[in-house]
Formats: sequence, structure tokens, C-alpha cells
Amino acid sequence: MSTLLPTQAGSGRAVPLSGWRRRWPLPRVIGHAIVIAGALLMFAPFYLMMVFATHTNAEILSVPPPLWFGDALRDNLSLLLERLPFFWRNLGWSFYVAGAVTVLNLLLCSLAGHAFALLDFPGRDRLFAVVLATMLLPGFLGMVPTVLTMAWLGWLNEHKALIVPGACGALGIFMMRQYIGSTVPRELVDAARLDGCGEFGIFWRIVLPLTLPALGTLGLITFIGSWNNFMGPLVVIRDMDLYTVPLALRALQGSGQTPWGALCAGAAVAVLPLLLLFVVASRRLIDGLTAGAVK
Amino acid sequence: MTRRLTWPHRWRMPRRWMPYLFISPFFVLFAAFGLFPLLFSIVLSLHNWDASAGLGAMQWAGLDNYVYALTRDDGLRASLFNTLWLALAGCVPQHLVALPLAYYLHTAFRRWRNGVVGLYFLPFITSTVAVSLVFSALFSKDFGAINAALRGLHELPLLGALFPSAPIDWDQAENTRWMIAIVVFWRYVGWNTVLYLSAIQTLPRDLFEAARVDGVSERQTFLHIVLPQLRPMIFFAVTLAIIGSLQLFEEPFILTSGTGGSGQAGKTVAMHLYTVAFTDGDFGTASAIAWLLFLLIAAATWLNNRLLGRQR
Amino acid sequence: MLLTCAAAGGVSAAPVRLTVASYPDLDQALKLALPAFARRHPGVEVNVVTLSHKDHHTAMTTALAAGAALPDLIALDMDFMGKFVDSAGLEDLSRPPYLARSQESRFPRYAWQAAVNRRGELKALPVDTGPGALFYRHDLLARAGLQEADLTRSWTGFVDAGRALKAKTGAYLVAHAQDLKDIRIRAGLADGEGVFFDRQGRTQVQTERFRRAFELALRARDGGIDAGVRAWSNEWSEGFRRGAIATQMMGCWLGGHLKRWIAPGTAGLWRSAPLPEGVAAAWGGSFYAIPVHSRQKALAWELLQLLALDRDQQVAAFRALDAFPVLLSAQEDGFLSEPIDFLGGQPARLQWRDAARRTPALAIDRYDPVADEVVRTELDLVLLRRKSIDQALADARATIERRVRRRA
Repeated sequence: MSTLLPTQAGSGRAVPLSGWRRRWPLPRVIGHAIVIAGALLMFAPFYLMMVFATHTNAEILSVPPPLWFGDALRDNLSLLLERLPFFWRNLGWSFYVAGAVTVLNLLLCSLAGHAFALLDFPGRDRLFAVVLATMLLPGFLGMVPTVLTMAWLGWLNEHKALIVPGACGALGIFMMRQYIGSTVPRELVDAARLDGCGEFGIFWRIVLPLTLPALGTLGLITFIGSWNNFMGPLVVIRDMDLYTVPLALRALQGSGQTPWGALCAGAAVAVLPLLLLFVVASRRLIDGLTAGAVK
Repeated sequence: MTRRLTWPHRWRMPRRWMPYLFISPFFVLFAAFGLFPLLFSIVLSLHNWDASAGLGAMQWAGLDNYVYALTRDDGLRASLFNTLWLALAGCVPQHLVALPLAYYLHTAFRRWRNGVVGLYFLPFITSTVAVSLVFSALFSKDFGAINAALRGLHELPLLGALFPSAPIDWDQAENTRWMIAIVVFWRYVGWNTVLYLSAIQTLPRDLFEAARVDGVSERQTFLHIVLPQLRPMIFFAVTLAIIGSLQLFEEPFILTSGTGGSGQAGKTVAMHLYTVAFTDGDFGTASAIAWLLFLLIAAATWLNNRLLGRQR
Repeated sequence: MLLTCAAAGGVSAAPVRLTVASYPDLDQALKLALPAFARRHPGVEVNVVTLSHKDHHTAMTTALAAGAALPDLIALDMDFMGKFVDSAGLEDLSRPPYLARSQESRFPRYAWQAAVNRRGELKALPVDTGPGALFYRHDLLARAGLQEADLTRSWTGFVDAGRALKAKTGAYLVAHAQDLKDIRIRAGLADGEGVFFDRQGRTQVQTERFRRAFELALRARDGGIDAGVRAWSNEWSEGFRRGAIATQMMGCWLGGHLKRWIAPGTAGLWRSAPLPEGVAAAWGGSFYAIPVHSRQKALAWELLQLLALDRDQQVAAFRALDAFPVLLSAQEDGFLSEPIDFLGGQPARLQWRDAARRTPALAIDRYDPVADEVVRTELDLVLLRRKSIDQALADARATIERRVRRRA
């Protein structure tokens, strides 16, 4: 942004503001202040959770609750590992399940989204309505039939039971259809078809690169959704060393005295991978856009 | 197109089969893992079943469960009211805030954008159990930070009159709803912001350049240029919001420790469903309620489609 | 002994796995028993699966409903016994090879009866219990010129004492008026009677008993003697820490919690008293059951015997974890006469044992949690919105009858 040169005094034209004032007019300052204040409010409970992770139960449940870090982190972590000896393994399983579900979703949902968005075939709209309808179905009544299905398949206590059913989610299809439908130009696809490119080739070489931002977002929300899911593991996993993280953290809650410090320590550890993932994914979101114009 | 395209030396699947191949993973998985639970719950809604007695204990009940849910279940009516209230109070502000926020972050924030977006997104990825602890500490009547802040705000000269003078007991019926709405807003506003931001960032840069050159103000750019372009994403986000808020379970359940709060003010339809199934031990009625909820969500989504969905 | 070990080692190649599903803090008592179990059954690997209290019962309900994903031994809390005891998926322990009915005399009546369903089947064995006590701040009462008897002699006396306490020290007598209702509805019940429902399943909320309980709660609220705080909330624990709440009626295990984390700074200031007007009630209690689908029933039965019938095991859990033993012989242990420092040297365990002996064997109904929730809601309306008690009880009855219409 080039700074305007000051004009001659008396020439009749307004003297522009100096550099700093020009880049930071009052509306922008207020705007930034509001946004940053909002961000801090968003952050505050999370910060408190981190603080609680370093205090003992008595300190946490006291008045006022602690606002700065204490020194009980080591104790909390050791209590956490004592109650949940397989915590690190639980983290690993969460990664594995969430990662597998994410990769599968990214691939399969964008395939389906491509078909619904770019291809014209009989029954397309009706089938898409069915896909949408499955998103509306209520959750936990499926618990008993799910156990029955997994028992019949012999998948009880195995992570396949968590990965396979969720490998192609309706939400992902919905999202990819929206995105592909509104950003991939038809001319490009038609041109490719005329050139003799197979449908899968169009998908792989043209559509997929153009939808990287959506893939990033979908990957992020799929990963987080799978990571935080506890209903599924609750009914099919029966060994503590196979638990995923939410189940493990909940297993700390007893009647009366829950070790809140240990729980917050565990929750803080569990949220770090998600944070990292977000940082990586958001960078890709930005990169994906600046890498190449749509046209 | 029914022309068969073949590369030399290789058989190509007829083009007209490709779409079905592409969408088949979803339907295969659905047939394997989604259909049975669906049929099971339909059948269950027509029966009377006490689950812990085992599968053999199902008794035919016909439409009794539906009739009961629609006519005699006061709990359902109350929870429906709560759910709709929460949908409006918790959900609408999210989008009203997320849209301009996403736009502002896109245009005005350069260096710290990722960091700020990350902070807004944090609530979404934090575990609900830890969140419940933190919020119960924050919303504590005598000792919580929120009441302390409200007390402080009450001291302000002019605006102070807007704020309550006595500490709010967040356990009381009406206040519980506000507490849940605040937490739901906190949790999802960042998620919506990320959605909208990712959509805004796909808009061609020339759009903004042209507007700036033409001297259009930021506000007008946002309202008349960007917003219409975001329509598909708004439709998507609002659909998700409708589905999510009508199915709201986790936040109110955890914040009220499963009780629904005093006067059941925080009990959503999904929570009521859970109570009917696991406390009352009546899986049949719970299934019927679940299907009624499905019809409601379907109607709301259809309405949303008519209003915001793009004709293609 | 060596012979059997060698034989066992030679026969099985892979270790035998016994899965036990439990919840905190009951799993601590379970883990305490494992070394003794391992000595008797070497080569058996015990897989302890812990879930949160609520999650555990949800998961077990689902598993029993589906008849799959079941462990070999299931922990059950007293609150849920009404539901699980009717389940066809749990073994009847009065049948061979268990023949546990002969053990009936070794347990207090109320603990035993909770595990027996309407058809007379014994579906579980109790492993611990929580006899109720009135914990009070001796020093606060003294400052107000009150004595323990003022609290326990009569309910009217209780409320009057509360007013005096508030006037002289500013402290609340109870945390919430609902607590008083909870105790009062259990007063005067005999063996076989239910709190909310009678033996035939008829709702009992529109009775004099409930009316008196509601009146008591309202009188307490009007007298300003309750702090209106929910149990286990921040205000609740802080109330104890600061001496703002002077009493709490709860299971005897509350003493341990007070000492460990709620109000360790008030050590020596608390005492334990029996509940007012001679009411005897138990808070919670844990049981273990064996699912029909288990493949290790014999071993599960061995472990269950160790947890429920072994005197030494029960005393060990009592000493280490504050889990009050349910076995009558364990309640004779010398440990009970030891003074408790936190309670100013009072040998309160004897008092708790006495409470356990006096507790009537109430009939547990599967819909008790439903009725409890409805009654709680109605009392809230009475306390906060001044709803008429008669109307509240009538509405409670109507709502309960609606929700239990499925009663078989």
C-alpha cells in the first residue's frame, strides 16, 4: 500500500493522514478490539481448563477458582496414568480411528459429491434426498442394533466397528456436493470429457485439486467428530487398553469425587493433536487458495 | 450420454454406470450398518420393550407409543419448547456473528488471522467433560466469574442499569436455558466462522478489487456482493445448524448433569428421549419420539431448502 | 497346592481371561481384591473395565438388551438395582451351582432384599453399603447453644434449631430443603414397603408421609435455614469449607470426602449423629451380578464370593477405601471401634453399623428414579413458586402414573 505524498499546502487538495493513522482508522481499531476481545472470551474457558490441570481438586473447587498455574501438574498426570494406565495407547487409538475415518471420508465423500454435483443420472435428486435424510436420524437408539450387528460380524471390541460404519458420512457428501457444485466450472469438466478423459480421471485430476479448501475443512471436522465421539466406543469396546480418549477421560468420573485436575490434564493432552491439526489444516486452506486461480 | 468411451487395450465401464459407482460406497455402508438400526427402531416404536430384560421381552403395542407421545407426553411438549427456544437463542446469534466476523477476518486481519481463527475454533475441539467443569465453575452463583463480571458491569454509569444487581442463580429454570444457550454459542460460533471464512476465501479476488476501485464501502460490499455469493455455504451451514440444534443433547446434558435443570428447563427433546429410554426404561416410546423428531427435522430442513436452497 | 498349580499350568496354553465391568471408585475395591484372587487362581488374567458411573450402566443396559458385548461380572449401583434385577440376562444365584440363598443371614436385610426380584430370584450379591448419618459441625452448634439432641429428637426441633443457628452464627443448617424431604419420606417405613410405590406398584405420593415431607421442606425454606445449594456443586463444598453450612445428611462415606478434599481444614470439628427421629436409611450400595452369556461363570462366581462373602476382603476395603462393609461379620471387626480423628475422636463407625442394622428392607421399584425425579421437580415448584402442596402431590401422582403406564 503506497503512501500518498503530501501535497502542496494551499493547492486546494486535502492533506492525507500520515502512514500509521491511515492504516488504522478508528473503525478498524474498534473492529479489531471487538474481534480480539471475542477471541479472548473464546479462549478463556480453555485457558481455565489448562490452569485446572495444574491444581489439586481442593484448589479447583475453591473460591475463587485459581486463575494462574499451580504446581500439581505432575501429580495430576501421575494420577491420570494410575487410573488410566493405557492413556497413551488410548491416544494412539483415537488417532488411528479418527485418521482412518477422515481419510476414507475425504475420498469417498468427494467421489459421491462429484457424482451428485456434476453428473446427471436418473434418480439423482431422490437419492440425494435419501442421503440427506440419513443425517436426520437420531443417534443413540441405534446403540442396541449396532451391538447386535457387530456381534454378528464378530467385530465387537475391534476398532473396525468404529471405522467402517462411519467411512462415508452424509455430512461429507452434502458438503462436497455444495462445494463442488458451486466452485468447479462446468466448462472445464465438459472440456475434459470431450478430450476423452474418464470420469475418474476428471475427478482425480481436475475436481480434487480444486476442492482442497473444502477437503481441508471436511477433514478437520471429520477428524474432530470422530475424535470426540464416545457413543460408538461406549457400546462396542470392552477393554480399557482399546478405549478412545473421550471414553477414557469419562472413566475418571465416579460418584462424588472426580479427579478434576487429572481429568483436565488428560483433556489438555487430548486437545493438543486437534490444535496441531487445525494449524496444519488452516495453513493448507490458505495455501490451497493462493495456489491457482479458479479460472 | 450412452456413448461408450474406450481407451485402447482396456475396457472402460460404461459412462452411465459411473455415477452409481461413485455413490455406491455410501449406500453399501448404509445398507450394512444404517438400515438395520433404522428398521429396528421403526419396529421398536411399535412395541413395548424393557431393554434390560433382553430381546425376547418385546410386546406389540401398535401405534400406542405414538399416540402417547403426541397426546399425553407433557415432558415431550416441554422439551420441544426448550429445544426450539435453544435453537433460536443459541443458534441464530451464531450465524449473525459468524458471517460478519468471517468477512472481517478475511478483509481486515492479515498477520494474525490464523491465530485468531484458531482461538475462535478452540471451543469446538475441547472435550465436553472438561468444558462442563469449567463452565460450572464460571456459572457458579456466588463464586463464578460470570456473575462477578455482571456485578462489575452493573457498576458502570450508564449501561449499568441493563445488568442485574443480584447474582443470578444459573440453576433456576429460565436462567439455565440462557446458560446453555451461551455455552452452545461459545462452542459453535467458531465452527461457523471457519465454514464461512473458507467459503469467502474461495471468492475471486477481483470481486473485492472491483468493489474497492468502485468506491463501495466495506459494509455494502459485505451485504450486497459477498453475502449473495455465500448463499450455498449459508444454506449448508444453516441446514447443519437446524439439524444440530434440534438434536442438541451433549451440552445441556452435561451442564445439567443429566437432570435437565430445575423445572426441566434445560431438557431438550434428545435428552427427553434418553430419559424415556434409560430412566423410564421404555425403549418403544423413545423410538416413537425419535421418529417424531425425525419428521420435525425433515420438515424444518425442507423448509430451509425452499428458502435458501439454490435451484440448479 | 503345587499340584493344582502345575495341572492348571499344563492344561491351558493361553491365560484365562475374566472381564469385570465396574466404575470408580468401586473399581478400587475390586483391584484391592485381585492379589488374593490371583493367589487362589493363578493363570487367570482379570481384565478390569472401568467406565463412568452413568456410562457404565448405559453400556450394561445396551449389552443386556442385545445379549452381546457382556463382561463376566457386572457391578451395579443400588440406584439401578430396580431395573437390572428383573433382567433375564443375569444369573439367578439361588440356583445351582451357586446356591447363594444360604448366605442370606450374613447380610443386612435391606442389602439382600435389593438383589431379590419379585419372582424371588436372587440376581446379585451386595459388596458394600452406605448407612446414612447426620454429619454436623459441633463447634457451630455449640456457639449457638445447641446440642446434638436438638437436631435428632424431632423434625420440628430440627427446624427450630436451624433458626437458632442462623440467628446466632449466620450459618445454614442444611444445604437444600430437598435433603429434608428425601429423609422424611423414608421415615416410618417397614420391611417390604416401598418409598414411592407399594408392593403392587401403586403410587404412594399422595399420602400423609409425602405431605409431611413437603411441609417440612417448605418450613425449612421459609425459616431460612437452607442454603439452596445443590450437592457436589462449588457452593456446596465451599459452604463446608467456610462453615456456612452446618450439617449434611448423607452416607457415612461423606466423612471421608470431607476429610480428603471438601473441607480438610475443618478436621476435628465434625461429629456424626443418627438421622433425626430415628430414621434409618442407606445411601447407595454396590452389587455384582453374573450375566447369563458369560463364558467364565465359575471363575466369576469365585471372584464374586471373594468380594461379597470374604470377611477379610471387606475389612481391607473398609480400611483402605472407606467402603462400609455389608457383610455382618465384617461389621464386627475391631476396626469399627477405632476413633476417627476427623470426627474429633468419635468412634462413629459403631453408630453407622447400628444404622445399618436398623435400616428397613424397603421394596425397590424399577420406577423409583422416575418418581424421585418427578417429586423433586414438584417440590422445586412448591419451594420457588409457592405451588400448593396438595396440587403438587396430585400433579406428581398424575405424572408418575403416566410415565409408569408400561408397568407389567
